Parts: sequence; structure tokens; C-alpha cells
Amino acid sequence: MSASATILAQHLLNGVLIGCAYALIAMGLTMIFGVMNIANFAHGEFYMLGGFLAFYLVSLMGLGYFLALPAAVALVVALAIVLQHGIFRRLRDAPMMTTTLVTIGLSLFLEHVALLMWGPQPQSIPTPFPTTPLSFLGIYTTPLYLFCMAVTAALIVAGHLVIRKTKMGKAMRATFQNKEASALVGIRIDRVYMYAFAFGAALAAAAGAVLGGFIPVEPTTGGVVTLKAFVVVILGGMGSFVGAIVGGLVLGIAEALGAGYMPTGWKDAIGFFAVVLVLLFRPEGLFRRA
Amino acid sequence: MPETGRRLAAAAAVLVLAAVPLAVRDEYYLHLCIVAGVFVIAVLGLDLIVGYVGQLSLAHAAFFALGAYTSGLLFVRAKWSMWLGLPAAAIATGLIAFVLGSVILRTRGHRFIIITVVFAELMKLVATNWIDMTRGFMGLPGLQIPALYVPGIGAIDLAAKGRFYYVVLAAAIVAFVVCRSIVRSSIGRKFILIRENEPLAESLGISAFRYAMIAFVVGAALAGAAGSLYAHYVGFVSPDLFNFSYVTIMLIMVILGGKGTLVGPALGAVIFTFLPELLREASHWRMIIFATILIVATLFMPRGIVFPLVEHLLPARWRTRDAGAA
Amino acid sequence: MQALKLFAAAALLALAPLAVAQETVRIGVVQPTTGPVAYDGNIYVNTVKMIVDDMNAKGGVLGKKIELLVEDGACNPAQSVNAAEKLVTRDKVVALLGAFCSTSTAAMMEVAKKHKVPHITGISTAAQLTEQGNPYFFRAVATTPMLGNAFGGVLPAAVKAKRFAFLVLNDDWGRSMAASYPKSIENAGGQIVATEFFQQSDLQFLSQITKVKAANPDAIVLAANTQQAAALSKQIRDLGVTVPLIGEGSWTSDSYLKLAGPASDGVYGLVEYVYTIKNPINDTFVKEFQAKLKENPTKFAGAAHNAIHIMVDAIKRAGAADPEKIRVALEKTDYNGLVGNIKFDDKHQAYGQTVYLAHVKGGVPEVVATAKIAKP
Repeated sequence: MSASATILAQHLLNGVLIGCAYALIAMGLTMIFGVMNIANFAHGEFYMLGGFLAFYLVSLMGLGYFLALPAAVALVVALAIVLQHGIFRRLRDAPMMTTTLVTIGLSLFLEHVALLMWGPQPQSIPTPFPTTPLSFLGIYTTPLYLFCMAVTAALIVAGHLVIRKTKMGKAMRATFQNKEASALVGIRIDRVYMYAFAFGAALAAAAGAVLGGFIPVEPTTGGVVTLKAFVVVILGGMGSFVGAIVGGLVLGIAEALGAGYMPTGWKDAIGFFAVVLVLLFRPEGLFRRA
Repeated sequence: MPETGRRLAAAAAVLVLAAVPLAVRDEYYLHLCIVAGVFVIAVLGLDLIVGYVGQLSLAHAAFFALGAYTSGLLFVRAKWSMWLGLPAAAIATGLIAFVLGSVILRTRGHRFIIITVVFAELMKLVATNWIDMTRGFMGLPGLQIPALYVPGIGAIDLAAKGRFYYVVLAAAIVAFVVCRSIVRSSIGRKFILIRENEPLAESLGISAFRYAMIAFVVGAALAGAAGSLYAHYVGFVSPDLFNFSYVTIMLIMVILGGKGTLVGPALGAVIFTFLPELLREASHWRMIIFATILIVATLFMPRGIVFPLVEHLLPARWRTRDAGAA
Repeated sequence: MQALKLFAAAALLALAPLAVAQETVRIGVVQPTTGPVAYDGNIYVNTVKMIVDDMNAKGGVLGKKIELLVEDGACNPAQSVNAAEKLVTRDKVVALLGAFCSTSTAAMMEVAKKHKVPHITGISTAAQLTEQGNPYFFRAVATTPMLGNAFGGVLPAAVKAKRFAFLVLNDDWGRSMAASYPKSIENAGGQIVATEFFQQSDLQFLSQITKVKAANPDAIVLAANTQQAAALSKQIRDLGVTVPLIGEGSWTSDSYLKLAGPASDGVYGLVEYVYTIKNPINDTFVKEFQAKLKENPTKFAGAAHNAIHIMVDAIKRAGAADPEKIRVALEKTDYNGLVGNIKFDDKHQAYGQTVYLAHVKGGVPEVVATAKIAKP
């Protein structure tokens, strides 16, 4: 392969790795938005907690890596259930300003509790994978990156299947489309909300746990993650799962290619400009609500 | 509260505020008073869009920062003093809000909120990366408080805290009066109608878009003016002003102060400028407490904490009947 | 509990102005004890506290004890300004140290100038800080361009490289590095093949690394602090780039070494201080630091050591805890300390101290080359 083709392929691979992560996080956000009609400003904090808890389980409690990841996610899910039961259940029919302010407050709360408990030190999750890079035709990756891509892809597929095939998934889609009618046919809205919130949080936490192997986490990481997730969700269409997946991948690849061939200072602007374009020409997002 | 009672209370309040520098000699407290005053102006503007029209705009801190940058750039590059910089900042920010509003004010719901966040981030990116213009993270240093040229007396130096306080106080009073006249006029009533029942307003021929735009632009201009004051007082402008933490503190001031009133957010601005400083010792817990109060207040106290508390302390016949007027 | 604390704090604040005559020499410190760089900020503060305790045990300065007042600037200009205002107007400090990040220090400088209190930084390297003509501000650390002039010429030989790439933070620090090092590198026979930037909020750098890799460098020069430095080291190795990394920032601190793990091996750090320096003052310092603070001193600890010692030395020579006299004494500084001799030029920029190229081997940063900072 020619040198420039190799570089292009490398950029693409980088983009897919990051894009899968974006897609996973955005899927969770769009699920919470679609089912519960809540813009979860604390979503990035679920990512952060997934990362931190995985780190602590692996390095301080000695739990094996492959056990620690799902355990960390389970802990975040537990937290999400508590939050749903304690706070969001009361906000079922609340106006949007109320729910948004609550999630902003929650984001602040979680970030500072994390700071208080763990301090501002960034942490990286020790992984059992060998660190020597693998190369193929001049394109480089590592076992950890491959693992990340595999896990995020698997979770994306799993999420898609849950929505499409399971009873709860169907209940979620029904609630999505028409809350009153769903309640009338006997769907227990509170349970649907709980599943949606827990599942959304789980996806974000999984991303944090898995990526924490090569992207260090610290308590303030949540803000940046939330912002990226919102950008993807706007691009893809708020409430559209397919939109989140495609949007995440497209953004990841676009950023990698953009940074690869343009001055890198403006990499983040790509997402923002895309949002502006979408707003002007297709405000619903690239996909309608799925 | 009966009208004459209100007028007396307002006059008394102004007198008390004007006497502050005479009673408070401590430079540090004066410093906090000045910062509080700046935030009063900014959050009054935020309250117009959040409290009266009922749209959660998270771009407000960006307008504050844009005002600071406008005034700072005009000072550093064109040697414009604050007397010119402040109105320029207000007008520039108002214009930017007008352009932004034309694009996004037709959007409702969560998309509107998120887009205001994206706008703020975009502005931060520009401030950080357009180094030729804004010097990026190096910021704009050396901003100064100008002197006041009074014919017959000459130049009065306003840099001393006791003196600059009066500048800020005057600006805050002007901002309050402007907001109050808007809120009490038919425009204000239309704001409230749009907030409470937008379909009804539309059916009556009241364009939600038009009135939201008015609140958005005026609010942004106030934030821009506040930003200019802040920039010249602190002496330094940098992209940190675009941080989300400014948004959250302004929201806390408005929501906990009592959105939809004017006195509420103004008191909120004062309290939440002083409180973090007094709680310096408890720096980690400080934000956790504020976040908890924000959540609890949003859930259970939609009228905020400060304003209802103040009302509670007033004799019954002075209380306002509706939360819409202040 | 919070209410009690609040009441106590309020009571103390109310009583503070009553303390008329200064029985102690009050020095104010503004550092980020919360926020993204809190870890390093806390190291600085703890170092200063440790040194001041030692000084007080030996009688303090001018026969009085030194009272250290610390406020959190959080590397936020507005907060640093608030903190400095409080220290000067409320606590009546006669000298200021801080505020770590260049933008916060720049904001804080204005407060020092307004209230005419001498202000020293041991960390902030933005060049423009000493270009403002602020007579109260002193910088006790070399700027990036000065480091570049000192070391740029040494690098090609030290790391055995000809083709250099820059991968730096997109702020004044990183940009000034990318602007100032090339000249001396080129003079020594090197060549600049790529320059890429990343943002303070970036967590993955795969695109930039891929671009740099495409230019085929023999060495990469970086500007980054702990979290980004660790992520960069890992991700650079992940993408199959094996050339030496030369970094300004925190590339030799314990926290970086732990976070980066095996990816830190072989990294070169361009530092104003590293704990493996061999001189009597440092030997004592390191032993005490390890005993009391249970880790190795980082360059921020070294910076703190310099800043507080220079300030207290100036107070001694001033003969009085008077801000104006201290300022004049600071100008005449001729201090021999942790990293050699330090004097200030007429812009109050320090020069004459030694700077170090450290090479990480097996988790220990050994000094492999030194240079002296020339008078600018």
C-alpha cells in the first residue's frame, strides 16, 4: 500500500475506534431522551464513574479486568436505579426546564462527589493486554483498541436487538411514540423509565470502563463527554438509535479525517459546524425518531 | 405591595445600597459587592429569557464572555475606554443574540437547550484558537477602569473600589429599571402568556418567536454589558470566561433566587457571590451543597428560595399576588 | 456541622481586621488546590508549608514567625483574582506567591500591581508575563524560549536524532515551544519535520500522532502535563511509534510515571528541577520531602522551594516586612539554592540557574545533561 493510502487507512481506523465509543455513549443518551424526554446533562458523569469504578475494582480491589468491567457497569446501573426511583420518577410529567436543571445539578453533584472521594488525579485502568502494537499493512493498532472496538460494537448490536426484539424494548418504543396510549394498554411506564435510564447509564459506563485503558479518567472528564454525546445526538436525531450509531461513527471518522488533513486546532469545531449545518437544513437530525 | 409602598421601598433600597461604601471600608467586601453587582446585571438578563419567557438558554455565560471580549479587544486594539466599550459590548452581544436567535428560537424543547450549549462551546473554540485576534489562552491583559471627565472638575479617577462600586451600582439600577419597565409593560405580559400557554398566545396572534427574541436580545445585551464591566474591573480577559461553571452559577442565582421575579435573581446574585467566598474553607463540599440545593429547589421549590423567603418576612399586605410582577 | 463552621468562619473574618500590628510576617499563596491541576497545586502548597515550618523552627525571619496564608485559585483567573484580593486586603499579606497557570498568574499580577505587593511565580512560563512592565511581578523560572535556547542545541546529540517533530498543547506554552526551539535545533544540525497541536480538553490524540508519524521523525518534542502526557505516551507507542519522546511539562513526576506505566520508559524530560539532581541542598530537600510527604519531589515542589526561599531571602535583606522594601530587595536577588544561582534581570526574569535533561530508565529520571539559563 502506498504511504498516503496507509495514512488514510490509519486515520479511518482511528476514527472507527473513537466513533464506536461516541456511538455507544450517544445511544444511551438518546435512549434516555427518547423514552423519558429528559436531556441528561449528567450522562458524561456515568461515563466517568464507569471508568473510575473499573479502575478501583482492578487496581485497589484486585478484581480481574474482565470481571471488573461488568462489575463497574453494574454499580453505575445500581446508582441509576436509585436516582430514577428517588428523583426522576417524580419528574415524569415535569416541564423540560425542570428536568434539565435537575440533570445539570446532578452532573455537578456527581462530579464533585467524585472529586471529594477520589481527588483530581487522573487514573488509567491497567489492562491484561500486551502493549506491543499489532500492525497490518502498515496500519497500527493494539489488542486493547481491538477489544474496545469489539466490545463497543457488540454493545451497540445488543442495544439494537434489545430495542427491536425484547418485550421491554417494544414497551420502550411504544412509550417513545405515545406515552398515554401505552399507559392505557397496560404498559407500566415507571418500569419502562427505569429500564431506559438504567440501560442508558450502563452504555455510558461501559464506554468509560472500556476506554479507560488508554484514555485516563478524572472527575472533570464528564463534561467533555456529555458535550460530544449531545453533538452526536443532535446530528443523528434526538431519540433515534440508528441516528446515534451512524452519527457517532460519522463524527468519529469525520474528526479523525478532519484532524488528519486540516490544522488540528479546530478538530472539535467539526462537530459544532455539523450541528449548525444540520440545524439550518435538517433540524430533525439526519434520522427521524426510530 | 401598594404602589407608594413599593416606591418608598425602592428608594430606601437605593439609599442603603448607595451608603455601602461609606459603611464598608473593607476592600475585600467591597470587591465582592462589585462582583455581585456585575452578576446582578447578567442574571437579570438571564431571568428575562428563563424566568419570564420560560426558555432555558445556556448561552448566557457565553454572552457575558463575548461582552468581556468585545470590550477587551476594543480597549487593547483600538484604545476605546470602557465608556465606549460597554455600550459597544452590549450592542455587539445583542446583535450576535439576534443572529443566533433567528436560527434557533423557532426550535423548542431540548434541542434549543443543547444548541445554546453548542453555541457557547463554539464561541470558546473561537476565542481559544483565533490567536491573531484574541491571543488565545494568553488572554487580553491590562484592561483598566477609565476616569470620568466632568466638565469643570476634570478627570475623576474611578479605579478605587469605593468609587467603581458606584459605577456598577448605577449600571445595576439602570438594568433593573429597564427590566422592570419591560416586565410591567404589555411586552412582559405577553412573555408570561407565552410561558404559560404558548398555543393560546399564538392563537391570539402573539408571535412567540418575536417576543422570545426580544427577551433573548435584551438579556444578551445585559450580559454583554456586565461582561464589559467585569473585564475592565478584573483587568484581564481569557477563554476561561466561557467555562460552563459560569452558566451553572448564573442558573443557581436565577433559579434559587426566584425566577420570574426581578428581585429574586438580583438577591440570588448577591448571595451566591458572597456565599462561595465565605465557604472557601469547604471548597469540595461547597459545590456539592449548591448542587443538592439546586436539585431540591428545582423539585420542590419552583418559586426559588430567596424570593419566597423575603416575601414571607414581609407583612401580608405587601406581598405580591402573582409571581409574574416584581 | 456546616453551620458551625460557617459561623466560626464568619466570626473569625469579622475579628480579623482587629489584628492591627503584625506579629508575624504574612505571606500569601494562591494555588490550585481544587480543579484539574489540583494534584500539582497541592504539592506546591505542601512544599511551601514544609519549608516555612522549618524556617519557623529556626526562628522565622526578622525575629518573627512566618505566617502562611493559602487560598485556592483553581487555575481560574477570576477565582485567583478573588483569592489574591482577599489575601491582600483582608489578610494584609506583604508578599504573594502564585498562581500556577499563566493566565491566572497574569490576572493575579494586576492585583499585586494595584495594591503594590511583590508577587513571585515559580511556575508560570508564559513569555508575556514579564513583558507587561509590572514592577511588582517576579518570575523565578525559565520561560520556554529560554529553555529552548539552553537545550535546543544539545538535543540532536543527546537523543541522536536529526528529524524532530513537535506535538504540543495549543496554548501559549505549546506554541512558544514550537516557535522557539526550532532555531537552536536547526543550528545544531537538526530539522523540523512536523508540528501538530492538541487542545487542553483532548483525551485521545490518534489523529495528531498519525500525522506526526507520517512525517517520519527521529524524535518527538512535546509540551503536556501529567494526564495528557501519560495518554500521549501510551497512544504514541500504541500506534507503533518507537522514537524517543522529549517533553516539557510533567514527564518525570511520580504521578506521570505511574499513570503512563511502561510507556514512560526512555522518555526525556526537559525540567527546571528533578529529584535526582545531585547537590547538597537537594539531597537534604529530597530526604525531608520523602520523609514528610512520602513521595519524591516533583518539579512543582522544586519551584515552590525556589519561590519561597527567594521571597524570604528578600524579606531578610529588606530588613522589614514592608512590601515596597521587599520589592526593592527582590530586584537585587543573588540567591544560591536548589538549582544553582538565580538573579533577576531588569524585567524581573530569573536567569543563571541550571536546567536539566532527565532520561527515564526503569521508573527513575536520571539527569543526563545540564545547561545554564543565559541572561535574556
